Amino acid sequence: MYEFQSQIGFPILTLLTFLPAVGGLAILFMRGKPRLYKSLTLAVTGVNFLLSLVLIAYFDRYSAEMQFVEKAPWISSLGISYHMAVDGISVLLIMLTALLSLIIVPASWNYIKDREMQFFAAFLFLETGMIGVFCARDLFLFYVFWEIMLIPMYFIIGVWGGPRRIYAAIKFFLFTFAGSLLMLIAIVAIAYLARANQYATPVFDMDLLEKATFSYSVQIFAFLAFFIAFAVKVPMWPLHTWLPDAHVEAPTAGSVILAGVMLKVGGYGMLRLCIPLFPDAVVAIAPYILVLSLIAIVYGALVSLVQKDLKKLVAYSSVSHMGFVTAGIFALNVIGIEGGIMVMFSHGLLTGALFLMVGFMYERLHTREIADMGGLAGPFPVMAGFLLFFTLASLGLPGLSGFVGEFLSLMGLFTYNKAMAAVASIGIILAAAYLLWMFQRVMFTGLRDDKWYKFPDFSLREMASLLPLGFLAIWAGVYPNTFLQLIQPSATRITEKIAPYLADHGGAIERLFASLGGLF
Amino acid sequence: MQHQLLAIMPELMLIATAVVILLVDPLLPVDGRRGLSWLGIAASLTAAYATWISRGEEFTAFSHGIALDKYSVFFKILLLVVAAMAMLLSEKHLFLKRHLLGDYYGLVLFTTVGMMIMVEAIDLITFFVGLELMALTVYLLAGFFRYQERSIEAALKYFLGGAFASNFMLFGMAILYGLSGSTNYQEISDAVRLGPAPAGPLAIAVVLILAGFAFKVSAVPFHNWAPDVYQGSPTPAAAFLSVGPKIAGFAAILKFFTLILGSQSGTWVPMMIALSLATMLVGATMALLQKDLKRMLAYSSIGHVGYLLLAVVATGHTGRNLGMAAILFYLAAYAFMNMGAFGVLVFMANRRPGFRDTLDDMAGLARRYPWAAAIMSLFMLSLTGVPPTAGFLAKFYLFSAVVDSGFAWLAVIGALFSLVSAFFYLRVIIYMYMREPETELVESGAGLEAGKSWDLDLGLAIAAGGVILLGILPAPVVNAAQDAVVKLLGN
Repeated sequence: MYEFQSQIGFPILTLLTFLPAVGGLAILFMRGKPRLYKSLTLAVTGVNFLLSLVLIAYFDRYSAEMQFVEKAPWISSLGISYHMAVDGISVLLIMLTALLSLIIVPASWNYIKDREMQFFAAFLFLETGMIGVFCARDLFLFYVFWEIMLIPMYFIIGVWGGPRRIYAAIKFFLFTFAGSLLMLIAIVAIAYLARANQYATPVFDMDLLEKATFSYSVQIFAFLAFFIAFAVKVPMWPLHTWLPDAHVEAPTAGSVILAGVMLKVGGYGMLRLCIPLFPDAVVAIAPYILVLSLIAIVYGALVSLVQKDLKKLVAYSSVSHMGFVTAGIFALNVIGIEGGIMVMFSHGLLTGALFLMVGFMYERLHTREIADMGGLAGPFPVMAGFLLFFTLASLGLPGLSGFVGEFLSLMGLFTYNKAMAAVASIGIILAAAYLLWMFQRVMFTGLRDDKWYKFPDFSLREMASLLPLGFLAIWAGVYPNTFLQLIQPSATRITEKIAPYLADHGGAIERLFASLGGLF
Repeated sequence: MQHQLLAIMPELMLIATAVVILLVDPLLPVDGRRGLSWLGIAASLTAAYATWISRGEEFTAFSHGIALDKYSVFFKILLLVVAAMAMLLSEKHLFLKRHLLGDYYGLVLFTTVGMMIMVEAIDLITFFVGLELMALTVYLLAGFFRYQERSIEAALKYFLGGAFASNFMLFGMAILYGLSGSTNYQEISDAVRLGPAPAGPLAIAVVLILAGFAFKVSAVPFHNWAPDVYQGSPTPAAAFLSVGPKIAGFAAILKFFTLILGSQSGTWVPMMIALSLATMLVGATMALLQKDLKRMLAYSSIGHVGYLLLAVVATGHTGRNLGMAAILFYLAAYAFMNMGAFGVLVFMANRRPGFRDTLDDMAGLARRYPWAAAIMSLFMLSLTGVPPTAGFLAKFYLFSAVVDSGFAWLAVIGALFSLVSAFFYLRVIIYMYMREPETELVESGAGLEAGKSWDLDLGLAIAAGGVILLGILPAPVVNAAQDAVVKLLGN
C-alpha cells in the first residue's frame, strides 16, 4: 500500500507537509495564554525548517530524477494517489517556505494582538498548503494543496488586515479562485484524455502525464487554463490588480508569505506543469508571454516610481521582479530557467525582508506614507543599515542575490531575442531609480519629527528575523553555485522536454491560429 | 426467494415506529415527548443497519413493484442518515418554540418511507405512491409552526405547487402507459426503445415528467416556491426538506431518464441542458441579492440542483456510469453540507431568541461562538467547492463526468457560476469573522443555558465530520456510488 523511497529512513515529505497542520490543529484545541500558542508555532516552524535543511542535505544534487518518492493509493477508482516527490526546484522553494514561515513568527510576536490563536493556526495551515504544493506529484493532490493555501491567506488578510481588508481579501480570493477553477477543468480534461481507453481510470499522476501526448488544440487550451491560474498568482500583468490591495491590507506576516512564497507558487506551477505537460503549446505561446512579462517589468517599475505608500511600492516592485521570473522561464533555455528560479528565490528573501522592514517601521511610526517619513537614518541607524542592504540587493547590486537571478534571466532572454533583453534591462535601471529614491526620501532629507529619537531602534528580535535573510542573500550573491547546482539538473530536464518542439518554431504560430480557427 | 415483507423491512420498521409515536404522544406529559425524537432516530438507524446488512442481495418484490439492489441501498442509507440528522437538529428547536408535538417525528419518518419507496420503485404506480407519501408529509412539516403565518404560507405554497407538479407527472406517466401498455420501468423502456412509439406523445410525456421533477427538486422555472418555503418553514424542517426530497428526486430522475428514457436521450438532453443552465444562472445570481440566510441557502440549493442536472446531461451521453456515480456522490456531500448549514442557523436561533436568520445577525459570530463560526465556514467552503471538503470532491467528480461526456463548455459555465457562488458563500464568512455586530444582541444567562443542547451539537458534529471525511477519505463512498450504478445500467 504505502511505500517510500528510503533515502533518509522516514517519509520526510509527509512530515514536512503535515507537521504544521498538526500543530495548527493542536493550537485550535488548546487552552491557555497566547504565549503558549506562539511558542508552539515557533517550535513547529523551527522543526520544519530543520527538516527542510535535512532534506537539502540528503538530496542528491546531481540527479534530475524526482527524489524522496512517497506513494499510497488514495481514491484508486478515480486514478488518484497520494504521490509526493521533489526535485531541486522544489527543495529550494521548500527551504525558502520553511525559512520565511519561521521568521514571521517572531516578527508577529507583538504585532498581532487580537485572536492570536486563530492567527498562528492559520499560518500553520498555510505552511502545510505551500509545502504540499511543492511536493505533490499527483495533479489532484497538487490542486488540493493549491486551494488549501487560499483559505488561510483569505482569513489572514480579511481578519487581521488594514481598513480595506474585506475588499482586499475577497478580491484576492475571487481572482485566485477564478484561475483555479479554469485549472480544475483543464486538470480533469487532460486526466481523462490521457487514459489508455474509454474504460480505464483517469490519469492524475504527473509522471505518467508527462509521458502522455495531447493533441495540439488540447495542449493550447489546457496550457492557457493552467497558465492563467498561475499567472494570477505570479501575478502577471494584466492579472496583477489584486496584489497591491492584498499587500497593503495584509498584516506584515501575510505580506511576507504572500510575496515570499505564494507568488513563487505561480512560477513553480509554470515550470512543473505548463512546460513539461504541454511543450508544443508552450513553444507557440512563449513569445506572447514574454511580451506580457516585459510589460510587467516596465509597468511594475514605472508604477513603483510614483507610489506614495511604502508598502505599495514594494508590492508593485514585485510585479516588476516577477516579470523577470516569467521572462526567464519562457525564454525556454537552461540559463533563463535557472535565472527565473534564482529570481524567485532571491525575491522571496529580499521582498520578504522589505515587507518585514515596512512592518517594523509601521509599528514605530504608525504610517507607511513616504512623505511622512524622512531623516529616519538619524534616530534609527541600524534600521537604515538594514534597509540600505536590502534595497541594494533588490535593485541588483552584484555580489548580492538579486543580481545573479536577473543577470541569468536576462542572459536567457538575450539568447532567445536580443531586443526583448534590451527592453527588460530598462526594468533594472528603473529599479535602481525607484528604490534609491525611496531610500533617500525615507532615510535622509530632513527629520520630520523629533520625538522619533525617543523610539527604540531595531531590537534583537527584529534583527534576528532579518539576519538569516541577509545572510542567504549574500551567500546566493557571492557563491550562487550552491543553489544553481541544486536546480541545474531539473532545469536541464525541463528544457529537454521542449527541445524537440523548438526546432519547428517557425510554424508554431501559424499552427496556433489554424487550430483556433478549427474550433469555429 | 425472500419473503416479500422482508424486502421492505426497513420501511415497515419506520412505519411501526411512526405509528407508535403518534399513539403515545398524546399520553405523555409535555416534557416527556422530547424522548420521542430518540425513538425516531433509533428507528432510522436500525432501519439503516437493516438496509446495510441486506446490501448483498438483489431481487424484486411485489410483482416487480420495487427492486432491491445496491442503488436503492445507497440511497436508502443516505436518506435514513439524513432523517436521523434532521431529528437531531429539530428536538431542541421545537422545545424552545413550544411546538412539542411528537407528530413531527412521525411525519419525518413517513416522509422518509415515501422517499425510500421512490428510490426503490421500478413501477410507475409504486413510484407515485412513494412520491405522494413524501409530498403530503413534507407539506405538513413546512407548516408545522401552525401559529406562524409564514409557516402556514410556506405549507400552502408548497402544497399548491406540489399538487400541480404531481399531476403533471401523473399525466406524463399516463401517456407512457398508453404508449407501452405497462407500468413497469423495464417494460416501458423496452417498448420505447424497440416499439415504434409515436414521437409526439412521447415528447409530451418527457416534458410533463421533467416538469414534475423540476418542481420537486426546485429547478428553474419551477423553483419559485423554494425560497418562500425554506424561509417560512421551521428551520430544522427546512434543513430536512432542502435535502431529502432532492435526494429522492434525483434518484428517481436517474431511473426515469437513464433507465426508461435512455434511448430517447436525443429528446431530453437538450431540455436538460437548458434547464441546468437556467437553474445555475438563477441560483447563483439570486443568491447574491439575499440578506436572509434561509433564502440565500434556498437559492444556493437551486444552484446545486443546476450542477446536478449537468451531470444528468452527462448520463445521456457516453459518460453514463461516471455521471450517475457523480450524482450519487454529490447528493451525499450535499446532504451533509446543506444540513450542516441549516443546522448552524438552528443553533443560532436556539441561543439567541431574537435571531432573524439574516447576514447582519451573523456579524461577529466568530468571537461569541468560535466553533459555530468555524463549522459554518466549513459548510460554506464546502458549498463553494474548496478542498479538502466534500463539496470540492463532489464538484470535481461531477465536472469529470461532464467533461468526459464531451461537454467541456458546460463544465466551464458551471465553473463560472461556481465563482459567482463563491462570492455569496464567502460573504457569510466575512460577516462572521470580519465584521462586528452593530447592536450587541442581548443574551440572558438563562436563555443561553436553555439554548444548549448536546443533540443539536452532535448533529452538527456529524455534518461537519461527514463534510471533512468525504473530502479527505472519499474512496469508500466513491466506490459504493460506482458499484451502485453498475447494476442499474446492466438491467
